[in-house]
Parts: sequence; C-alpha cells; structure tokens
Amino acid sequence: MAEQKTVRFVIERQDGPNEKPYTQEFDVEYRPGLNVVAALMEIQKNPVTVDGKKVAPVVWECNCLEKVCGACMMVINGKARQACCSLVDQLKQPIHLQPARTFPVIRDLLIDRSVMFESLKRIQGWVEVDGTWEVKDAPIQNPYTAQTAYEISHCMTCGCCLEACPNVGPQSDFIGPAPTVQAYLFNLHPLGKFDAPKRLNALMEKGGITSCGNSQNCVEVCPKNIKLTTYLAQLNRDVNKQALKNIFNK
Amino acid sequence: MFHTTFYLRRLHSLVGLLALGMVLFEHIFTNSMALGGAPALNGSLAMMELIPKPIFLMLEICGIAIPLLFHAIYGVYIALQANNNPGRFGYIRNWQFALQRWTAWFLLVFLIWHVFYLRIFTKGITGTPISYELLQSYFTGHPIVAVLYILGMFAAIFHFCNGITTFCMTWGIAKGPRIQNVISVLSMALCAVLCLITLAFMGSYFVM
Repeated sequence: MAEQKTVRFVIERQDGPNEKPYTQEFDVEYRPGLNVVAALMEIQKNPVTVDGKKVAPVVWECNCLEKVCGACMMVINGKARQACCSLVDQLKQPIHLQPARTFPVIRDLLIDRSVMFESLKRIQGWVEVDGTWEVKDAPIQNPYTAQTAYEISHCMTCGCCLEACPNVGPQSDFIGPAPTVQAYLFNLHPLGKFDAPKRLNALMEKGGITSCGNSQNCVEVCPKNIKLTTYLAQLNRDVNKQALKNIFNK
Repeated sequence: MFHTTFYLRRLHSLVGLLALGMVLFEHIFTNSMALGGAPALNGSLAMMELIPKPIFLMLEICGIAIPLLFHAIYGVYIALQANNNPGRFGYIRNWQFALQRWTAWFLLVFLIWHVFYLRIFTKGITGTPISYELLQSYFTGHPIVAVLYILGMFAAIFHFCNGITTFCMTWGIAKGPRIQNVISVLSMALCAVLCLITLAFMGSYFVM
C-alpha cells in the first residue's frame, strides 16, 4: 500500500454569528493515529488553503482531548461527534467539518452551548445539600441503581444528542435528551430524590419531555453510550404518575 | 401550575391510538366485506343504517369528527416542530419518525378529500347511500382514485401501527431497547397484514 501523504479537510467556516457560511479546504500532512483535533492544530499552525491562500486560522473548541469534557463536538462527515476521538484512519476522505448548527455558531466550528446549561437549571440538575451530615454519615447511593446513576453521570453536555434530534432546533422549544435525562440522575440520588416531583413537574412544562418524538437518534449518537431512550421512557412513566398525583391528590 | 402542553400531548396520543384506531379498524372491517361481493358489503352497510339517525350522527361527531379534528390540528403543530433528518441520521427509528410525519401530511389532504366527497357531498348533500355498486363504479371508473385510496389506507395503517410503538414509549410502557424492539417489529407485522387486507378488498372491485 502506498504511503498516504496528506489528508484533505473541507471545513465549513463562518466569520461571525450573523455572517454567511463558506467552505475552505486544507491539506494536513498524514501521520499514524492522526485525529481531527490534532489536524485542526496543524491547520492553526499553518492556515494555508489548498489554493495556497493564507487565511485566518480555523476557530474551534477543545479541552481534555480524551472524550470527557465534550467541548470539541462538531459535525464530522455529517455526524455529530467528538473531534478528539475521531481518528482520520476511520473517516472517509475528504473529511468534512461543520459546526453543530442546532446551537448558535459563534465563529467557524465554535458554538454556544449555554442553552444546555439553562436547561439543566430548568430541570433542577443539582442536589440541595443542607449540610447536616458529616461526610461519613451521609446517606449512601442505592447499590441497585448506582450503576445506572454512574452511566448517566458520564454525560458531558457535548450536545451530540441535541444535534441529532429532529425535534431540537429553532423550530422547536424542546430542551433535548441530555438535560431531560439528567433529571433522572438527580431523581435517583439519595438526597436529590426529595425534589423529584419538582423535576418531573418541570419536565411536564412546554419544551420538556413531551416534546420527545421517539426518533431515538440520541441513543445512536451518544459518545458515552448512555441509554438515553431507556431513561426517557422511565421519565415518561414517572411524569405520567406525577400527573395522576397532581390530578387526584388535591 | 397546569401543564397544558403535557395534557394536550398525552390526549393527542390517546385519541390517536384509541378513537382513531377504532375508526381505522371499523373501516378495514366493513370495507373487507367487499371480498364477499355486493350482498356482503351492502348487508353490513344496512346493519349500520339500523342505528337510529340521531344516535349515528352523534357517534360520528363525537367518535370521529372531534377526535380527528383535534388529532389533525394539534398534529400539524407537532409535525412543524420536527426537522426531519433521516438523510443525515439514517437509523430505522428515525426513518419511522420521518414517515410518521410524512404520512400525516398526506393523510391530512387525503382525509379532507375523502370526508368531503364521500360523507359530506355524496351521502350528505346528494343523499346517495354508500353502496357496493357506488364504490365499484367510483374505483373502477377512475383507477387513479383507487390508487389514491390504497395509498391513503397504507398511510393511515402505517401511521397507526408506528403509533402503537411510540405510544408504548410515550406512556412509559416499553422501557428497555429489547421490549421496544419487539413491539416495533410486531406493530410493523400488523402494518403488513392490514396493508395486504386493504390490497385484497380494493383489488376485489376490479376482479368481480
């Protein structure tokens, strides 16, 4: 097999939030184990297009480089995924990079994902700590649900599931799978469970779990393999019970 | 706080599966009588005529018209919230999600035509009773109408059967991937059977 010399990247760029998108192509020298973030770093060092034009370096976001932080989520060859763990060897070339347009684009591949933080606030994605316990005396996690809680806690709000979900976008007010399923994580918590009715009522509001249309794209694209559809169904069960309580307990 | 959206969405799901599912089955059941020729279909239509007129009309309004209008109008609102993307994410469930919405748009147009022409114009305004002979001349005289009716039935059957699957998810009945898969396969099998029955009774007008 002939040694591959360069890898072609076709990048959808945008100079500002309200600017028109355009594409530019770059060649990056191939090396074994090259991933998309490393390739973007090479482009940053020498931002020259295939036509030999020197351009402004491509802007993108990354932090941990080990699929834990979620920052480098972008659309690679049409699919929402983490750039840091997208190996060039496993991608069809030329490699197309686009920003995840479910979110507002700030510049090039950099997006504003703060809407997910707002959604986490909406579903009360935290545990109220009242400080009455010494650490050793605090109630323990239920050992039977700890595995599930651990799995959901892997969520890094990267936004892959929101990008893939047909019901998330400017046409809809759905908060998306990731923030919705976080409600279940905190409902499982030995202290968080006391606020479960609050979270379930928040999920019943406009844009909550009722906006889920069961396309199940979320579970297919989740880079952390969280069984999102299973927990969405569980939450559906829980909000239905909560609705019955709301109706019949007063 | 009263969660209007939540109750409307759940009502939409219930009405679709129960009320409109029953309407669909009634149509398939009565129309499949065409397989027995004119006496069978006309006989079962005469049976329905035995129900006193005011009660029959009330049943039509409360059992069909209101549920259908609610499901259709709120359904348009739901369909407009989706940005169908099976081209980018070509998973089976995503295709079914998109088909659920595409069949809905087709059914909206088809049902307006079907209800206005057969129920309101033919039966209501001209006073012509629906009979085997009327349907046969309608379908064999205009094969394109027969084709559109078969497509309308296929769309309704798929929309209903896929609706069973999503109903089980929406109501939290089927939680895990295994049971969701089993229900999806079973409802698609039901879809195939009902489509074959439709082909059989629609085809019978052309061979008899």
